[in-house]
Amino acid sequence: MLGKQRRLQFVECPNDINGMIDCAKVADLALLLIDGSYGFEMETFEFLNLMQNHGMPRVMGVLTHLDTFKDVKKLRKTKQRLKHRFWTEIYDGAKLFYLSGLIHGKYSKREIHNLARFISVMKFPPLSWRTSHPYVLVDRFEDVTPPERVQMNNKCDRNVTLYGYLRGCNLKKGNKVHIAGVGDYSIAGVTSLADPCPLPSAAKKKGLRDKEKLFYAPMSGLGDLLYDKDAVYININDHLVQFSKVDDENKKIIRKGKDQDVGEVLVKSLQNTKYSIDEKLEKSFINLFSRKPNISSETLNDAKDTNEQSGEGIKVDGLVDEHVDDDLDDSESSDKDGDVNKDEIAASRSSGSDEDNLKEHLEFNNGRLRRKAIFGNNIDHSDLKDSDEDDDNDDDEDDNDNVDNQSSSGSDFSDGEDDQIDDGMGNISKWKESLLERTVSRQNINLMQLVYGKSASTSATSSNGVQDSSEDEESDDDEFFRPKGEGNKKLREGLDSDNFNTEDCSKFRSDWLKAARRNQGSESNLEDDEDNDVYGDFEDLETGEKHESHPIGDSGNGTIQNEDESAIEERSCHEMMCELLLVIPIFWFSGQFCCLIRQNHVKLAVLTLTFFFTYNGSDSAEEEIDNKQGAKFHRGQPNEVGLIDKMKEEIELRKQMNISELNDLDEVTRVEIEGFRTGTYVRLEIHDVPFEMVEYFDPFHPILVGGIGLGEENIGYMQARLKRHRWHRKVLKTRDPIVVSIGWRRFQTIPVYAIEDQNGRHRMLKYTPEHMHCLAMFWGPLAPPHTGVVAVQNLSNNQAAFRITATAVILEFNHEAKIKKKIKLDLEVAQCEGKEVRTVSGIRGQVKKAAKEEIGNEPKKKGGQTREGIARCTFEDRILMSDIVFMRGWADVEVPQFFNPLTTALQPRDRTWQGMKTVAQLRRENKLSIPVNKDSLYKPIERKQKRFNPLVIPKSLQAALPFESKPKDIPSRKQPLLENRRAVVMEPHERKVHTLVQHLQLIRNEKMKKRKLKVEQKRKELEAEKAKEEQLTKKRQREERRERYREQDKLKKKIRRHSEA
Amino acid sequence: MGKTTYKRLKGSQSFRQRLVLATLANTPVLIEDIRSEETWPGLRPHEVSLLRLLEKVCDDCVVEINETGSKMKYKPGTVMGGRNLVHDCGVSRSIGYFLEPLIVIGLFAKKPISIMLKGITNDFKDPCVDTFRSTTLPMLKRFGVPSEGLGLKIESRGSPPHGGGQVFVTIPVIDKLTAVNWLDEGMVKRIRGVTYSTRVSSQFENTMIHAARGIFNRLLPDVHIFTDHKAGPHAGKSPGYGISLVAETTSGCFISADTAVSHAQGEAGEIDNDEKEELTPPENVGEEIASFLLEEIQKGGVVDSTHQGLLFLLCALCEPDVSKVRVGKLSPYGIETLRSIRDFLGVTFDIRPDPSTGTVILRCVGCGYKNLARKVS
Repeated sequence: MLGKQRRLQFVECPNDINGMIDCAKVADLALLLIDGSYGFEMETFEFLNLMQNHGMPRVMGVLTHLDTFKDVKKLRKTKQRLKHRFWTEIYDGAKLFYLSGLIHGKYSKREIHNLARFISVMKFPPLSWRTSHPYVLVDRFEDVTPPERVQMNNKCDRNVTLYGYLRGCNLKKGNKVHIAGVGDYSIAGVTSLADPCPLPSAAKKKGLRDKEKLFYAPMSGLGDLLYDKDAVYININDHLVQFSKVDDENKKIIRKGKDQDVGEVLVKSLQNTKYSIDEKLEKSFINLFSRKPNISSETLNDAKDTNEQSGEGIKVDGLVDEHVDDDLDDSESSDKDGDVNKDEIAASRSSGSDEDNLKEHLEFNNGRLRRKAIFGNNIDHSDLKDSDEDDDNDDDEDDNDNVDNQSSSGSDFSDGEDDQIDDGMGNISKWKESLLERTVSRQNINLMQLVYGKSASTSATSSNGVQDSSEDEESDDDEFFRPKGEGNKKLREGLDSDNFNTEDCSKFRSDWLKAARRNQGSESNLEDDEDNDVYGDFEDLETGEKHESHPIGDSGNGTIQNEDESAIEERSCHEMMCELLLVIPIFWFSGQFCCLIRQNHVKLAVLTLTFFFTYNGSDSAEEEIDNKQGAKFHRGQPNEVGLIDKMKEEIELRKQMNISELNDLDEVTRVEIEGFRTGTYVRLEIHDVPFEMVEYFDPFHPILVGGIGLGEENIGYMQARLKRHRWHRKVLKTRDPIVVSIGWRRFQTIPVYAIEDQNGRHRMLKYTPEHMHCLAMFWGPLAPPHTGVVAVQNLSNNQAAFRITATAVILEFNHEAKIKKKIKLDLEVAQCEGKEVRTVSGIRGQVKKAAKEEIGNEPKKKGGQTREGIARCTFEDRILMSDIVFMRGWADVEVPQFFNPLTTALQPRDRTWQGMKTVAQLRRENKLSIPVNKDSLYKPIERKQKRFNPLVIPKSLQAALPFESKPKDIPSRKQPLLENRRAVVMEPHERKVHTLVQHLQLIRNEKMKKRKLKVEQKRKELEAEKAKEEQLTKKRQREERRERYREQDKLKKKIRRHSEA
Repeated sequence: MGKTTYKRLKGSQSFRQRLVLATLANTPVLIEDIRSEETWPGLRPHEVSLLRLLEKVCDDCVVEINETGSKMKYKPGTVMGGRNLVHDCGVSRSIGYFLEPLIVIGLFAKKPISIMLKGITNDFKDPCVDTFRSTTLPMLKRFGVPSEGLGLKIESRGSPPHGGGQVFVTIPVIDKLTAVNWLDEGMVKRIRGVTYSTRVSSQFENTMIHAARGIFNRLLPDVHIFTDHKAGPHAGKSPGYGISLVAETTSGCFISADTAVSHAQGEAGEIDNDEKEELTPPENVGEEIASFLLEEIQKGGVVDSTHQGLLFLLCALCEPDVSKVRVGKLSPYGIETLRSIRDFLGVTFDIRPDPSTGTVILRCVGCGYKNLARKVS
């Protein structure tokens, strides 16, 4: 109980992927505990990822283990580092708390206080999946199978009841639910129970009173109070049992005239047999003081006090301390007993639970007390009883105080839900009277009953009835064969009778020709009937309502309660049951114990508790908040005008409207119409659950029960846009089974990956792309589009690597998978008739027909081999014998129709669920090598030298060619031509010229050579100089830069110092 | 998984609602004893035609009918929709019979539907296509159906017994329906209407209009009734005439009444006899339909009795908010629909009579139906 409008439910997330997935689906706020000395762990990131995909709830990081840092600087640095890493993962400025460490095994009070404050003001975005599906986080689990059936067969299917707050959206009666880790079930029964943690009365107060701070956590072993449909169970510690016995004795004295109930006797005999020797010792002591309760209880307290104070580290003053210890002792002794349910936890948490215990009892007692004050005529009676019952715990004075309290607080009773529970027996006859009256008034039909049949609540039977009867009538007109229908027909009146008209017609005027007459006022018979029904009924209804309010007024209560008959009936049963079966001790604590110190203390304890647990094993603690349809709580805060707020406001407004709209209905019809509201504490009964669920039930693992929407229980192909997670090391392979979590479900399935081509074709991929989205098609229970999906391959806990393999979002679902892949060679040729083919050179053609199984020029009888896959094709042009012909063919890929729900709740939680294995896994296990297709291997390509034959031009052609084109047939010469062979003898003048030219050439060449050399030398010199200069500049520049940086740095430091200061 | 469990139903009544709801809720149904003890047992041609229509717009739906037709299995598939579909509705019921279920299913299809329906456009049993255009389509808009893509075009008219009409219908795809709070029926501000005649003299229409106006003119001045005389190929194959009237109220409600006169339809393929019975004269038709419309208005409610079933169905399919509607006297069809809705969708209505106006107020929380078939873009 956090504020007037909210309650918190803390759930510790188990450290395995299944539990994490379930938790991520229901958490409103995740407290991620991060071991500061270790840094982030894989699980933290995995959890963040899970949440992101199932709708991102709020996240708060809590850094622990900071006391292990001795060096302050290092601590600061680690904090910084972790904070920034955290921010990159979530968003900049995400809240990260630092818990500086344990002091006496607890966190410091201030820090926890701050954390609690932050939690209490947290706002939550509406998540689309959760606002459209009801869900229950089960906080209590019972096996209600008839014991004889279990005895007969230990492994028979069980009936179980699941308790918890209904969240999400309203739960209707016919809804199917999915129990995470078990499967789909239809609900055999839903009942709303009294809220174990009721919201405080609507009185205008600031903050919560101490009394209103409640705790309820049955599965975690906190508190001993359990609520059921028709009973309240309390675990009673041994000496309290003694007290109860005593009080029974007292009771006997009080109602002298009455006989003792058989049930009571039985219970007592049971109680008696249970005691062991040491308890018997105690018993004797208690029996002694039971005659003088005042003194002895005090002595008891004192004794306990002395015992305990030595062991306890906390110093609390005076009365408070005394009380704490007292209670602490209670629970400890109960531990000794070993009769506490599922309480391995209790042992480990030493101090905290005890205080909670105390708190809880206290609260409930007070709540009950207040309610009781309504019945003015009963007050004396109940008080008497109460005092008898309860003085075991406290002094008479306390009791008196309580009585005072009760009378003073009598005005603000809330709903009167439970008030009859404690009511005396004397009232019953009165109630019965009123019941009788009510039932009589109810006999009158109303319109809803007319439409929906007599018993509106049991829909199945009534609908059958309607169908049956109408079927009878349907064939009525064939009276020759069916005279028996007559009687049946007569039973029905009014609306049903014109129903036999098998004509399925929306128009309502079989007698439309009479319309004119009708208009003049003479209505047909049929209408008369109906009108009578309509209006007469209303009158009845109204009087019925009057009747309803009447008896309540009789019983001395001025307020109007719209309770209905059946509820009251049930309640009276309630009382009987209570009398028969249960002993309800009620603990009284006077107001003086609830001082401020206590309150702080308790809060601290609880939070510590949660943290302490998450500390050891896993790193995330979830927490959820029931936003009980809090009226204007969120509104009127115009600070944040974000989209989310707007959306939330809208939702809230609509919700308010809906509620106000249906408020005037009585409970049963309201439930019939809108289902159970969110925030109610419901009890779901589910039949035929495998016995393993009961056997392997583990309170550490939260059970998630999610409602299934329309059409979501169907199975089909789903198409998702999938991306391999960037931290997963490998790409995913088509047809390797993966475990996906969609909606509430977790199941294993075989996906086929694909990518969409330009032309809209879905081409199969053998592996997911490295960094891209692809499509995944798989078979399974359908989820609506836009649902987030998380894929996991390995469920074991000891895997070091990142376990989330891929994330996806559902795009659509279909009854068929339209994935294609490129053709394989072994495809049937007959399938390809009419398909397009083309050669490498681009000549297009078409496959005409599958040919006979022999090649045309080598008929079989000549010894040609028969081959498959021969087809006759036509082309737009002649193709070469050496051309390669391609056909681009696409074959449909079948997606395996396989899915396997994860039944992790049906096996020991610590065992890893084993589903279908991947091919690689199987190969590894069986030591099989990867099969090699010889044809697919790459071989060295051997290309033969192509030898071309000489071109031969036929003689006739040659003759016809013009001379130019004629091949010139020049025979090759053996000797060189004469020009090349002959010697040259020069004239004297000629010789002179020749030598002169030679000389001149030589001179020029020499000159050029020299010039070249010179230029080269000059260039080299220049380069050397340049290099020198360059070096100098570089040096200077570096110096300059250095100077500049130094100055900048200085400036920055200064600024930072300023800002920090 | 493999085995499908069928919801077992009996009898032929409310066949359409059952099929619609089965398709939407994706529940396989098995209907037994369909007129099993009548002289002509089994499904009627129009019912078979409706199944064919469903097969056309759905993928993967399986219909099995036994030999006599007295027992059928229907396993719904995904509503696909699609463009340029054609369906021959036959001549045993008019197109209105098919439109009523189709319009609801079409809203929740994968792709928008545009379909050509062939058959009888107007008869007296079912709401005629004019009424659909003038009344039903505006009603859908109340529930958040966009007006784009929602349309009905009469290509040609067909009267019983031989039909020959063609209607082109387009239905958009929506994600979900919004809840309505529709209580105020307002006052009638204008009356519109359409008369039609096929293969008869256009004078018939004028006579009908005259007669109808004779009644309305005493009450309000804003009455316009249009004529739609079809001739040639647009007139279908049989003679007939009829009228459809719509009263629009100040709060935007449409109350309709329609009728048609023609020679009787032959029963199940039977050719009607040569001796033709007397048809109602057009004056009487006009008078009757005008007074019938007044009757409907007098009953109160935001829709007429014909549309009650559709209204309830839409309310039940809304998102999970409270819908509140006021209708006049509950029609048998409406009641049947209510029952079917309860059976299939689990939505129960709270039904309160309002004695001061003689109407009935229905409230329900929608089942939050979402178009699951639609693809995410």
